[in-house]
Amino acid sequence: MKTVFRHPPEDLTGKRYWRSLEELADTPEFRSWLQREFPAGAADLELDGVSRRNFLRLMGASMALAGIGLSGCRRPEAYIAPYTKSVEWLVPGKAVLYTTSMPGPKGGVPLIATTFEGRPTKLEGNPLVPSSNGGTDLFAQASVLDLYDPGRARTFIRDGEEAGAQQFDVYLASVAKDLEAGKGAGFAILMEEQVSPTRDRFLRKLKERFPESGLYTYNPLGFEEHDLAVAALFGPDIALRADFEAADIIVSLDSDFLGIEQTVQSVRDFSRRRRVHGLGQDMNRLYAVENRYTITGGMADHRLRCAASQIPAFAVKLAKEVAASTNDRVLNAVVAQLKDGGTPFDEVWIKECAADLVARKGKSLVLLGDRFPAWVHGVVLAMNNALGAFGSTLRVLSVPRVKTSSFRDLVADTKARAIKRLFIFGGNPVYAAPADFEWGELQRAIPEVVRLGYSFDETSSPSKWHVPEAHYLESWGDQRAPDGTYLPIQPMILPLFGGLSQLDLLAKLAGLPADVEAIRETFKTFNQESDFESAWTRFLRQGFAESSSYQAAKVEFNPNALPDLLKTAGPPPGPVSPGAIEIVFPADYKIYDGRYANNGWLQELPDPITKITWDNAISLSKSTAKALQLEDGDLVEIGVNGRKLQAAVMIAPGHADYSLSLPLGYGRWVVGKVGQGIGFNAYALRTSDSPYFATGATVNLVQKNGHRLVQTQNHYSMEGRALVREATVDEFKRNPAFAKTVWMDAEIPPNVSLYSHPPLNAPNQWGMVVDLNTCIGCAACVIACQAENNIPIVGKDQVDRGREMHWIRVDRYFASAGGDKNNPHLEEDPEMVMEPMMCQHCENAPCETVCPVNATVHSEDGLNVMVYNRCIGTRYCSNNCPFKVRRFNFFSYNDRPVMDRIEKGLPGFQGKQQLYLGPLAPWGMDELSKMQKNPNVSVRIRGVMEKCTYCLQRIETAKVSQRVKAGVKGDLSLPTDSVKTACQQACPAEAIIFGDIKDPKSRVSQLRTLPQNYHLLEYLNIQTRTTYLARIRNPNPKMPGAARVGNINVDEHGDQRHSAPRAESEMDGGNA
Amino acid sequence: MAEPDASTVAFVERMPRRPLVLNNHSMAWISDRIAGIVENKAPLWWWITISITGSFAAFGTFCMLYLLYTGVGVWGNNVPVGWAWDITNFVFWIGIGHAGTLISAILHLCRQKWRTSINRAAEAMTLFAVMCAAIFPGIHVGRFWMAWFLAPIPNPNWIWPNFRSPLMWDVFAVSTYFTVSVLFWYLGLVPDLATMRDRAKGKVSRIVYGILAFGWRGGNRQWRHYEMAYLVLAGISTPLVLSVHSTVSFDFATSVLPGWHTTIFPPYFVAGAIFGGFAMVLTLMLPARSLHKLQDVFTWDHIDVMCKLVLLTGSIVGYAYCMEFFVAFYGANPFERFAFLNRYFGPYWWASWTMFTCNVIMPQLFWVRAFRRNWAIVFFVSMCANAGMWFERFVIFVISLHRDFLPSAWRMYYPTWVDVFTFIGTIGIFLTLFLLFIRFLPMVAMSEVKGVLPEADPHYHPRTDPESESRKEAHA
Repeated sequence: MKTVFRHPPEDLTGKRYWRSLEELADTPEFRSWLQREFPAGAADLELDGVSRRNFLRLMGASMALAGIGLSGCRRPEAYIAPYTKSVEWLVPGKAVLYTTSMPGPKGGVPLIATTFEGRPTKLEGNPLVPSSNGGTDLFAQASVLDLYDPGRARTFIRDGEEAGAQQFDVYLASVAKDLEAGKGAGFAILMEEQVSPTRDRFLRKLKERFPESGLYTYNPLGFEEHDLAVAALFGPDIALRADFEAADIIVSLDSDFLGIEQTVQSVRDFSRRRRVHGLGQDMNRLYAVENRYTITGGMADHRLRCAASQIPAFAVKLAKEVAASTNDRVLNAVVAQLKDGGTPFDEVWIKECAADLVARKGKSLVLLGDRFPAWVHGVVLAMNNALGAFGSTLRVLSVPRVKTSSFRDLVADTKARAIKRLFIFGGNPVYAAPADFEWGELQRAIPEVVRLGYSFDETSSPSKWHVPEAHYLESWGDQRAPDGTYLPIQPMILPLFGGLSQLDLLAKLAGLPADVEAIRETFKTFNQESDFESAWTRFLRQGFAESSSYQAAKVEFNPNALPDLLKTAGPPPGPVSPGAIEIVFPADYKIYDGRYANNGWLQELPDPITKITWDNAISLSKSTAKALQLEDGDLVEIGVNGRKLQAAVMIAPGHADYSLSLPLGYGRWVVGKVGQGIGFNAYALRTSDSPYFATGATVNLVQKNGHRLVQTQNHYSMEGRALVREATVDEFKRNPAFAKTVWMDAEIPPNVSLYSHPPLNAPNQWGMVVDLNTCIGCAACVIACQAENNIPIVGKDQVDRGREMHWIRVDRYFASAGGDKNNPHLEEDPEMVMEPMMCQHCENAPCETVCPVNATVHSEDGLNVMVYNRCIGTRYCSNNCPFKVRRFNFFSYNDRPVMDRIEKGLPGFQGKQQLYLGPLAPWGMDELSKMQKNPNVSVRIRGVMEKCTYCLQRIETAKVSQRVKAGVKGDLSLPTDSVKTACQQACPAEAIIFGDIKDPKSRVSQLRTLPQNYHLLEYLNIQTRTTYLARIRNPNPKMPGAARVGNINVDEHGDQRHSAPRAESEMDGGNA
Repeated sequence: MAEPDASTVAFVERMPRRPLVLNNHSMAWISDRIAGIVENKAPLWWWITISITGSFAAFGTFCMLYLLYTGVGVWGNNVPVGWAWDITNFVFWIGIGHAGTLISAILHLCRQKWRTSINRAAEAMTLFAVMCAAIFPGIHVGRFWMAWFLAPIPNPNWIWPNFRSPLMWDVFAVSTYFTVSVLFWYLGLVPDLATMRDRAKGKVSRIVYGILAFGWRGGNRQWRHYEMAYLVLAGISTPLVLSVHSTVSFDFATSVLPGWHTTIFPPYFVAGAIFGGFAMVLTLMLPARSLHKLQDVFTWDHIDVMCKLVLLTGSIVGYAYCMEFFVAFYGANPFERFAFLNRYFGPYWWASWTMFTCNVIMPQLFWVRAFRRNWAIVFFVSMCANAGMWFERFVIFVISLHRDFLPSAWRMYYPTWVDVFTFIGTIGIFLTLFLLFIRFLPMVAMSEVKGVLPEADPHYHPRTDPESESRKEAHA
C-alpha cells in the first residue's frame, strides 16, 4: 500500500513520542539518514556508476559470448577437386551442348543434351529439326535420370553370378562360331520395335550371313494390328502419318494421339490449329470417343463416353453415317458386310459428327487407337478413304523396314523347340508378355538366353547371361524421327558401367564395325553432298540429315483386301452392363509399359488425369462404383478369362459406365528400389487376344478401403471460381475480352498498396504467358523443371503428407457445365480443364512482405527471388501464397535416403522412410545421383523454402554472355526471346511462353495484349507476372450437349458476371 | 485528515466491504501460511504430480530434439498447412500468458485490491506460458540454427530483418513482453524473498534467498522506490497486455488468406487471450488453494470476479465469431464466404463447433451466481475454455490454410505423434515450472496481501471491529 509519509511537523506540542534512540538524539547523521530514507519530494535520482563506456563494454562482451556460442553451428565441409589437366573447350560450370536423339517405338525424339564437365544433365528438343519445335515428351525429359539410376545393371551376370566383360567376349566368340557352323539355325533375336537404320542394316547383314536365324519383335503397346491393316490395304513398307495441321475435323476413336500415342510433332501440329491469336483464326474441332478421360479427351470439343469394347461398333455406326452421306461405294460395301452389335449410341451425336466430317471432306480425319483389332482399322481406313483423307490429312509414306516375325511366332517356335539360343535386346517379355503365353515358363525351356538389359529385371533372372545395356546417352546410334528425318545418337559420356549397346552386340555377332564407324557407314545413304566429312560434321552439329524424311508412297488404297480383313471380325460383343463389365489396359502416362518403373521422377509425377502418384488403380465411373458398391481405395479382385488380379479402385469422373481401366506397367517384381512394390500388374490379366480390353470381367470386393491411393490433387471441382476461363469460339468473337470480365474480375475496386516497392527498372522485365487453349496437360514441363532445377523426389508417403516438391504442377479440374441441373450426368460426364500452376512472380508479392528475414525479395527485373542461404524456414511465405506454389524441404530430401525404409529398430518406425531416422540415417547423396544435378542451381537443404525461379540460372547465363558481347558500356538488355525457361522449352504444345514484357517485340508482350489474356486472382492486387490465355472451345452447335461446352464459368443464372460461387457438388477424392 | 461524514459511515456500516482475507487473519498468519508452503516438507501429492508432469516435459523435450535433428517433417505440416499445431500452440500459450500481467498491471492501475492474492501465481503462470510459447517459433522454423537471422544484428552485408513482416513484429512484441513480465514479477517478489531470507533456517536457503532479495531491508526508501518502480512497470505492461496479442494477431490479419485477413483480429485476439488466461488461472488456482489451504486468501469472491471476467471476455469472443461470420456474408467476397462456411461445415466442422461450444456457450453458465461458486462447475468451465481456446487457434490456422484460393492445392492436415507429444510436453514443462514455483517461491504476494489487510489501513480503527481484542492478542 502506498502511503504518503508525513514528516513530523516542527511544532510538536504535548508529550513527545519517539521511535528510536536515534530519533530522540536527533543527531545530524540521523537527520541526514532521515532525509535520505524519507525525502519529502521526488526521489533524488542519483546517477549510478554505470557509464556509457561500461554499458557498451558489457553489451559487447555479451555479444561476443553469444558469438562464441553460435559459432558451434557449422555447415558441412565440402571439397572441390580441380582438374590437374584442363580439358579442351571445357569451362567449369559452363554447359556444352550436343545433338542426339532418344529411341522410341514410333521413331526417335530429336534432342539437344546439355552437359557439364562431361555429364549430361538435361535434355531439350532439337528445334533445328523440321519436325520438332524444341519440345519433348516427358519420357525424353525423364530419360536423363535413367542414366544415373542407381538401380541399373552394373555388371555382366552369368547364371546369377557376376562375370567379366572378357568372359562374355569369349562366350560371344563361341556363339559366332556356332552361328557360322549352323547358318544361324536355332538362333533367334527378340527385339523391341525401333526405327534405327543402322540396326536395320545390321539385322539384314545378320540375316544374310545366318539365314536360318530368327528375328522377332515385341512391343507390349505395339501397333501390329494397325500395321496389319495398313499392309493389307496398301501393301508392305507403308506407314500412315496424320497431318494435324491440315485437319479441320478430327474424330478420335479412343486414339490418345495427344497423350500416350503422341509424337512431339502431332502435339505441335495439333496445337498450331488450336491456337487463337486473333479473331479470324480457323480452329480445328476435335471429337473424342473414349472410355476414360485421356489427354486427348480433355482437349476435345465434344467427348462421348463409350466403353472400349463398343468402339468397333461405334466405328461401324459412324462409318454407316459417313457412307450414307458420301455414298462411297467402298464404305457402303464395308458397312454392308458388318453386323451391328445392337449397342445403343447417341444417334444424334453420330449423325452430326458424321455430317461435320463429310462437310469438310478432304480436311477431316478419323483416328483409331493402335491396339484395336485390324478389321476395325480397316473400317476406319475405309472411312478415311471415303472422306478423302489419304494424301491430305493422312499421309501415306513409304517406310522401309526389316522383316521380322511377331512374338506369337516366337512362342510357337519356342514350343516347337526350334530355338536353342535366344538373344533378348531390351524389352521385358517375362513381365510384359501376354499372360496366356506363359512366357516366364517358356523362356526357361530355351537352353541359352542372353539378355541385354538396362537393369536386371524379370526377364534377366531366368536368363543365362545378363549383359548391361548402355544408355542411349552413352553410345553411338541413329534413329529416324516419326517423319523419317535421320537423326544421330551421340554418346555424351563413356558407359558408366561398361555396358554394351544393341548395336555393339549386333556388330559383334555380325562381325561388323560398331560405334561411330557404323553410323558413318549408314549416314552415307542419307548424305547427298560430295564432301562427306563436312556433311558428317554438320549432321552431328545440327542433329539431323537434311531432306531425309520419308517419301510419299506411290500406292493407292486397295479396297479389294477389305472383305478378307473384315472377315476376321468376330461376333460383336454385346453392350456393357452390370453383368458384362469390360476391363481396359491403357498404357500408363508415366511409366509407359513399365520400363520407367524405376524412374523416381516419373513415379512421383502425378498422373495427368487421375493425379495418382506412385501407384496405379482401376478407374471406374461413379455409377459403376455405386452399382458395384465400391469406393475409392477399395481393394477388389478382378477376374477375367479365368485370370485373377487384386487391385485398388478409384472413381474417375468422365469414365464410361461398366468399364474399368487399369494402366499397364505396375506391379513389377524384379526392379530397383524405386519401383519396388508399386501398383498392380495389369499384364496378369492381359492375354494375346485381348491386348487392349477384355470383356466379361468380374469384380469382387476383397477389402474395404484396403489400399491407400495417393493423389497430389484431391479436390476436383473449381468451386465456381473462375480460375480456368473459357468460352466458345462464337462467344469469343462476340466478346473477345470475355476473360477480363468473368466473375469477380468484373468489378475490382481500385487498389491501393500500403508498401512502396523497389523500382522495377532493369532493362528486361520478365513475364510469362500460359496458353490454356493449347496446354494439353501432359506434364512434360513438370519433369523438365525437375531435371533443370535439381528438384528431389520425396516418396509416396511424403506425397501423401502433401510434401511433393514440384515447382510446377498441372492443376486438373473437372467442371460440370453450369445451368443444367437436370442432367443426371452432371458429375459423371464433366468437362476437364488443365492449368499449369507455378510461381506467378507477383509484382506485389504477398510472400515477400511476410518473410521476417528478407529471404524472398524482388529483383529489379521483376523476379520474385528466393534466397536459400537466408531462408530459415518459417513457412509464412507459403501460407500467404494464394497459389500455394511454394515448396518446403520438410526433410533433407537431397541428403537422406528417400527410398530406403527402416527395417527394424524402434517400435512404430518400421516401414517408414529413413528420413524419419534423422541423424541416424546415412548422410549424403549417392555419387550417381549427384552427376545429374545442374551445377548452376543450388541443391537445397532441409528447412528452406523453394519455388519456381523463372529459371533464373538461364537468365543469368544469358546476361553473362550478353555482358561479354556488349562489353562494359554496351546495351545490357537481352535480345528478344533469347531466354527460354525449362518448362517452356519442353512444352511440345508451345503453351508456355516466357520473355521480356518490356520489349514490345517479344512473344510474351504480344500475347499479353491479346484480349483473352487474364491474371489470376486479380482482385488481390498482387499483379502477377504470369498470365493466362483463356481457353476457347470450338463446339459444333448442332451436337447434343453443345450448349454445355465451353461455359464452365457460367453460373446457373447464365450470368458470367458477379456470380457467387455456386453450390457445385463436392467431388472430392477419397482423401479429402 | 477529516473524519468521514455520517452518511458514508452509515453506508459502510450497512454494506461493509467484503474482507479480502477471510477470518480476520493476522499478518503473521499470512507469513506463516504462505512461507510455510515453501519451508515445510513437500507433500506427497507434489512429488507425484511433478514426477508425472516432469516425465511429460522430458518426453516433450525429446520430441523437440527429435524434430530439431530430423526436420520439420516429423510433424504433420504440409504445403497448404504450413503452420499447424506449432503455431496453434504458440498462440495458445501466448494467450494464456495474458492473464497474469493483466491482473498485475491493469488491475493494479485500477486499484483492484483483490488482485493481490492471485497476482503472484498468475504472473508466474504468465512467464511459464510465454516460455512454452517461445519454444514453438524457435523450433518450428526449418533451420533453427539460423534463427538468429531474426535479430537485427548489424552486419557487413547490410542484410536486415524484414521490418514489414508481422513475424518480425512478433519477435519484438513477445520478447519485450517477456522481459517486462519477468521484471515485473521479480520486482514484486523482492520483499517476499527478503521475508523468506529472514525466516530461513538453513544456511543455503538463507544465502540463496539473500542473494535473490537484493539486500531488501524493508526501509521506507526502498518501499518508496519499489512502489514507484512497480507503478512504472505496471504502466509499461498495460499497453503490452493489449499490444502483444494484437501483434500476434497481425501475423494473420495482415495476410491475404481468407479467414486470416480480418480487421477484427486484434481486439478479438486480446479478448480471447484474457479469456483463456483467466481460465488457466482458475484451472491452476482451484486445486492449489485447496491443497495448500489458502481458501482464506484466495476466496470465493476472487473466483467469482474471475468468473465474471471469463463470462465477459467469452462473450466478446462469441460476438467476434458471429461478427466474422456476418462480415463474411455481408462482404460478398466468395473466398471469404467459402472460408467461413468451410470453417463450420467443412471437414473440420467438429473443431469449430468444439471451439464455439467451449468458448461461447459454456461460459454462459457463469451468469448464475451459484455456478460461479461451485468449484466443480468453475473447474469444468475453465477446462472448457482452455480446450476451446486451443481449438480456436487450430480453427483459425489449420482450417483457413487447408482450403484457400485454389482448390487444386487443398489438402487435409493430420497431426503426428510428435505433434501431440510436443504439445503435451509443453503442458508438462508449464506445470513442472509451476510446481517448482510453488515449491520454492511464495506463491502469494505476502507483502501485498498484508497491505490489503484492515490493519494496513492508516485509518484502521480496531474499535469498530468486534474481534479486535483477539487480534491484538495474536499480534502480541
